Amino acid sequence: MTSFKPTRRTLIKTGTAAAALATFGPTLLRQAAAQDADLAPYKSAKIDWQQVSGETITVAVIPASYFENLITLAPQFKALTGIDVRFEKIPPAQIRQKSVIDLTSKTGTYATHAADPMYYALYAANKWVEPLDTYLKDKSLTDEAWFKLDDIIPAWRSANGIDGKLYGMPYDGEVTIQVYRKDLYDAKGLKPADTLEAYMSNAAALNTPNDRVWGAALRGVAGAGQNMYIYPSIFREFGGDWMKGGKLTVNGPEAEAALAWYVDIMKKYAPTAAANWNWPDIADAFSQGTVASYIDAHSSASVINNPEKSKVIGKVAYARWPKGPSGKRTTSIWNWGFPINSALPEKKRKATWLFIQWAASAETQARTAHRFGGPTKRSGVNRTSVWKDPDYIKLMNGFGENFVEATMGALQDDTDVDWRPRVPQWPAIGDTMATAIQSALSGQATIKAALDDAQRRIEPMMRG
Amino acid sequence: MTAKRLRAIALLAISIVFLLAWAFPIIWSVLNSLKTDSDVLAYPPKLVFSPTLEAYRDVLFGSGSILPNLLSSAIISVGTTIVTMLMAVPAAYALARLRFHGKKFAGFYLLATQMLPPVGIIIPYFLVLRNIGWIDTYQGIILIYLSFSLPFAIWLLVSYFEDIPFEMEEAAYLDGASRLKTLWRIIIPQVRGGIAVTVVFVFLNAWNEFLFAVVLSGNTVRPVTVAMFNFVSVEQTLWAKLAAVSVLAMLPVVVLGVVAQKHIVKGLTVGAVKGGGRR
Repeated sequence: MTSFKPTRRTLIKTGTAAAALATFGPTLLRQAAAQDADLAPYKSAKIDWQQVSGETITVAVIPASYFENLITLAPQFKALTGIDVRFEKIPPAQIRQKSVIDLTSKTGTYATHAADPMYYALYAANKWVEPLDTYLKDKSLTDEAWFKLDDIIPAWRSANGIDGKLYGMPYDGEVTIQVYRKDLYDAKGLKPADTLEAYMSNAAALNTPNDRVWGAALRGVAGAGQNMYIYPSIFREFGGDWMKGGKLTVNGPEAEAALAWYVDIMKKYAPTAAANWNWPDIADAFSQGTVASYIDAHSSASVINNPEKSKVIGKVAYARWPKGPSGKRTTSIWNWGFPINSALPEKKRKATWLFIQWAASAETQARTAHRFGGPTKRSGVNRTSVWKDPDYIKLMNGFGENFVEATMGALQDDTDVDWRPRVPQWPAIGDTMATAIQSALSGQATIKAALDDAQRRIEPMMRG
Repeated sequence: MTAKRLRAIALLAISIVFLLAWAFPIIWSVLNSLKTDSDVLAYPPKLVFSPTLEAYRDVLFGSGSILPNLLSSAIISVGTTIVTMLMAVPAAYALARLRFHGKKFAGFYLLATQMLPPVGIIIPYFLVLRNIGWIDTYQGIILIYLSFSLPFAIWLLVSYFEDIPFEMEEAAYLDGASRLKTLWRIIIPQVRGGIAVTVVFVFLNAWNEFLFAVVLSGNTVRPVTVAMFNFVSVEQTLWAKLAAVSVLAMLPVVVLGVVAQKHIVKGLTVGAVKGGGRR
């Protein structure tokens, strides 16, 4: 996504490569040898990567730098397996629609697609996608010792599992953290908040709209992955339980307290426009220096550190989600995972698994992250081992103070699989809740009325 | 005199305000397309800035060039327009002038197809195209576009045909011309304006269509309306590039509008003897 700007080093590299090509005519052989060496880390796995050579699969992804990096490496996958991968880039708002049409009609257009964790309940209930343990346990398809499933961030794995079965292999993910302007905090002698209460008082202390600095910003725009990305964390931190007594419950005292906190901070200390903001808008505002702090995905760090746009580079620091009154921190568990489409013939399913195994492997994760040749580096790698790699840590710490610690702390300790209610009806429920939150924020309904109304609407969905 | 002048000035001022309000989104897009990413985000919005063509360079010649998408859009829109017009002109003529069994029903049926909400028919369309292997093909998308452009074009054209006086046609018959020859030589030149208007609308609808395109297209055929969304990622919105693509996507439509303008005006004033009618 970031445009390529030749630096001195790349120019020298390109220049040297061109000179080498001109000097040594028969470099093709050399290249072939280099490619073999490139594949060595994969070939150490005790499986036959070439077992379904000649297959072609289509993979739907969203336009995002972390998938662009993977697409760049697709020729390596082709050389390793003989499988052709056609990537189709579909905007995030449409990828769900398109993949659900494909899955319901069982046409098998997309062998796999970048899938939202909240959809697996729906996918699994309809048997649209395969349980992955079949593939993980098949010794001809997976070398468990090489693949090391346990190395993949446990929170993301559990988010993609239903009844203990994994349905989507996490490829890239995120966790919610506190992002703040260290210079502004230091000037007022403030510390990053440890509790939601402290977060509110920090926001109050920093809120100076006359100087065009607002205290805080949270996602405000209505939508299942928008205001309903932030609110569930607050709800859980206030001690809320989605499935009270086995019944999906969205109203109740904890919910009221949580929504009141959200509405309060948004109304008092966020820019008015934030009621319509999603996270790119928040990150843009923060990068322009008009927001003192926000709580959102750690992956926004790349935007607020983009030298082409950001005015706050070097002034940013990070901390974990503040604790709620329940004493808990509850971050989001979000990742783009790859499921296997059940409608595929067996050979294509195998080819798809090989692709997924390749993409989620530690080697490919490293090659698309700190070892990636291009300009954009990923901050959402799926493996604990990569997060411990000194080269990766060094790269990530470039995003600002405490980035790796806050992210890893949140990933390991602040996650909660039941962050959102994991039911097949989620998409409709999420939208209903999103509307309720917005009506409370805009003052169209009182907090209690908004939540009671959402409960009334959700009940028939759960019966149907 | 002064009162008249004052009125003229007031009218002019009001016109300018309306014109600005109408043109604001376009002006805004053009301005943003000439800014750098940081200038786009600047607050208060910068009206004075050093313009750059970087966004255009990136979207046209960068790694994610939209040139193939503009080509896709052009093939789809031109294809849809040609096939639609080839079928719509005779059909509209028939509806306006011929007497046949079930004519009323045919007219109503055409209108009824326009009432279906597109979202409701997208899955059947997807399945049909999938079964005949036409997903992500030009013929597939053009076929689907025909299903809504054809009724629309016929309905638009019928009124133009109805405006042509019978006397003209009858004169041609008396001179010994066949019905087809009359249609081609006498009628069509009379409805040229109507045809131009219809062409513009059919082309516009096909050019701007998004909902069907996003579901029925893929890597081979990807119109610019769909490709444009790739500048809105989950990570960030690349406003300058998005604006540049919007401006580029607007250009063909503007050009077509200007070219067709002469005919459109003619279409409004056509007819030596007004007042034909449906038979």
